[in-house]
Amino acid sequence: MPNVGAELASVPFGKMIYDMASAIARSQVALDKASIQLVKVLASTTFDYVPDVIEVLQPNPRTLPGVTDSDGNPIVITGVQVSTNVGTAFPLTLLQAGVNPTFYAFTNSTIEVKMSISSTQESSNTLSVGVSVTASADFLFASGSVTSHVNFTSSNKYSYSVTGSSSMSTTLAPVPPPKNMMPRFFLVNAMDPSKITISQS
Amino acid sequence: MAMQMFLVGFNGEFNQPMSRSVQHRIRQCGGYILMVMRTGIIVALDDVQVPAVQSHPDVSLVGGITLNPHGYAAERLQHIFAENLSKQIQVKAE
Repeated sequence: MPNVGAELASVPFGKMIYDMASAIARSQVALDKASIQLVKVLASTTFDYVPDVIEVLQPNPRTLPGVTDSDGNPIVITGVQVSTNVGTAFPLTLLQAGVNPTFYAFTNSTIEVKMSISSTQESSNTLSVGVSVTASADFLFASGSVTSHVNFTSSNKYSYSVTGSSSMSTTLAPVPPPKNMMPRFFLVNAMDPSKITISQS
Repeated sequence: MAMQMFLVGFNGEFNQPMSRSVQHRIRQCGGYILMVMRTGIIVALDDVQVPAVQSHPDVSLVGGITLNPHGYAAERLQHIFAENLSKQIQVKAE
């Protein structure tokens, strides 16, 4: 008879868990390396950043030539003059601008094993017995015979099957950048060097 | 994880036909162009389409990015992204 406990015990849970954990660890390393590579790309990708555009509105009253009021005085209309001052552009990296790489982490992993065990047993026996008697008699002699047969048939059918399936699933979620993998920004105010601001994404 | 922001890095020197070709691939994959630079493109893309974009010969890397709201120009970038996105999204009337 099948032993369900023994079948379950034969499932290599330990190896499955180890293989999965190992695959997750390798994947995590690869993902982290890709994100670190992206930090380098973001830190080296620059664009020209215009910090500010100053627009100054100033009054600009003027008269319309040939247009006067009823007293003959020229009509003064209000006007405005816009003077624009564009700040000097300077190179800014995407990392400084606020673009951060996405880091990923495996948050939840599941191993599911399904097993189906079935066994059937059929046995059948047949027995047949036959006896035949023949006798003959004549004037001088007599004869007789007895024959018998025994047929015995025995059959046993035994089937045993184990089917199993396993599935592994894991969840990958974006997480904030680890502090040790992100650069720190030091802002030194040249007008007051004693004030240094340190920030990190 | 569906739609995410990615930086698509170019392979080699920048030129206009190459940049257009990569942008075309991104649009074919259902992505949106958020900002184009000389070294790459910032896009919004379904993460299942990343391999298709990555397979373009002029693409060196496709990496997920996020916008840090405390960044020096985060607000400005957000406006640029939104403006470019609005030109590519068609809103259908019910």
